[in-house]
Amino acid sequence: MEEKKLGLPSVISTGVGLIVATSCLMSLGQGTGILGTGFIISMILACMINICTALCMAELNAVMPNLTGGLAQYTLAGLGPFVTIVTMVGGYIVCQSIAGSVECAMFGNAINTVFDTGIPSSVFCLLLLAVLITANLLGVDMFAKIQNFVAYGLIISLVIMGLLGTFGLGTGETVEQATNRAGSFSDCFALLGLAFFLFIGSEFVIPISKNVKNERRNVPLGMVLSLLIILGMQIVVVIGMGHYTRLEDLAASPSPHILYGNALLGYAGSLWMILVSVFAVISTVNSAISFLSYMCAGMAKINLMPSIFLKKNKRGAYYVGVLMIGAVMMVINATGLSTSDSLSFMILVAIVFWMVSYVIADINVLIFRHRLPKAPRTFKVPFGPVIPLIAVVGNVFMIWNIDGNPATRNLIFLIDGVIFLALAIYAALWCKLKLKRPMFQAIPVHEVMAMENSLYLVAHRKAQVQQAASKKVVGTASF
Amino acid sequence: MGFSKIEVITSMSKLDGLKTALSKLGVNGMTVVQAIGCGAQNGTFEYEAQQNEEMELLPKQMIIVAVEDEALDNVIETIKRELYTGHIGDGKIFVTPLSNVIRVRTGEEGTEALQSNTSQQATRHQN
Repeated sequence: MEEKKLGLPSVISTGVGLIVATSCLMSLGQGTGILGTGFIISMILACMINICTALCMAELNAVMPNLTGGLAQYTLAGLGPFVTIVTMVGGYIVCQSIAGSVECAMFGNAINTVFDTGIPSSVFCLLLLAVLITANLLGVDMFAKIQNFVAYGLIISLVIMGLLGTFGLGTGETVEQATNRAGSFSDCFALLGLAFFLFIGSEFVIPISKNVKNERRNVPLGMVLSLLIILGMQIVVVIGMGHYTRLEDLAASPSPHILYGNALLGYAGSLWMILVSVFAVISTVNSAISFLSYMCAGMAKINLMPSIFLKKNKRGAYYVGVLMIGAVMMVINATGLSTSDSLSFMILVAIVFWMVSYVIADINVLIFRHRLPKAPRTFKVPFGPVIPLIAVVGNVFMIWNIDGNPATRNLIFLIDGVIFLALAIYAALWCKLKLKRPMFQAIPVHEVMAMENSLYLVAHRKAQVQQAASKKVVGTASF
Repeated sequence: MGFSKIEVITSMSKLDGLKTALSKLGVNGMTVVQAIGCGAQNGTFEYEAQQNEEMELLPKQMIIVAVEDEALDNVIETIKRELYTGHIGDGKIFVTPLSNVIRVRTGEEGTEALQSNTSQQATRHQN
């Protein structure tokens, strides 16, 4: 029997490492700039809703354990292929492509903030993307190896800088200002979308669950504790930022973490933050390109995307996915993502997809409870349907309040609507022409589990070819 | 007090986890038989597109335990959780009532025959 090695601390460190990314600093700075310490209320609410969804994910993993595709496979068994294609291609592939582009843009901005090169930020982004695409095509895993080191570097830096700021221990001058800019709860609700971005990704813990000791307790507990630790860490940073930087400057800055580093510790603080964030961007974007190419291959494996995504080059890289994702990120960056407004706007556009996929995950839990009431779950979310329902309502509420400005909100919905429409057309055509299955008919759990086997697609293709050949023979004979 | 026999037919890889979990529950004895067989799918592998028309017998193991009826639900829940992967081939559990259990060496019957000597001594001490 395979020995289970990972304990609760490993689950927490993986969770924290996967959730925190440099672009979180952008939304943290933006939120603090607009609401000051009032942003903490938005963060607490967003964190609570994410905890409910994380628990739902843990239950889904208990019903359908050890799947590589995760949410795609749960949704395929819960709501059928149409919803799976729309939410998974939308939720993860589109959203991560946009989020990865924002990370790249922050890389260019960070360099120009400190060194003022005079070269447009997008040039640095494109260069970085070219390097990372090449590295992924060559199968170079150097960046993946430094990923944990970089994630911990970012987390430790944030904690230290947050504590220095909170207790007024920085070398810079403190700022006298009213730190709370939230007049009412509706102000806090308006920034829920931005706050949500700080906590996404806890579901990435699920793939390691098969190696976790006492998985039933440690996986859900680890996910919840990761989110709470991040909440605590970011609250400290919000308070620190309020002490050392003018909130208006924070809201306007495309690199608020560097602005804060400079205000707190001078030039040394800027260098510290740029060093940490540049490494973090490289590591995050690299893993996004790699993860998304695997995700496309996974979707192709369960016959929801073209099989071309399963093609590997000599180095073992899923090169079609790498090139496609890389090209999308390059196009987005070439359009000139640089101002804080455009970056936070892109974040909001992206996370609507993620929120929709979370709503679907929560609904999947209720569907499986109804369809497989007696399946022996190693973990079941307590209090019946209450927590999944809270998660659904919470996520829908966050989508509805994605931005406080109605014009911006409508524009976000318009862009997301157009993308969803395009995905829906693709999904409908794919179900009808390629998959040849009813769009909204769920695929039985055991069949989805079987799709995990690499021989599934081979065996089913063979059967389809034989079926087509026998039809031809019958047709010729009757003719 | 009544007794039940639980027969579990499952794949070859599940024994270690099940043994550990049942030991933690206080189940004292177990018999494992290597077997070949198939279930409702006629031995079709889960990835295959068409089901076998004729039964294909695959290597399995049968695990037999006898428990008091009081512990039955708990033991079955544990077995279900241990064996569950969601894949075809997780196994089946058969439960049948037993009229008696007899330990040949001592002639003890019923609950005493199911318990080890040390646990019997502990029970007597408590009384």
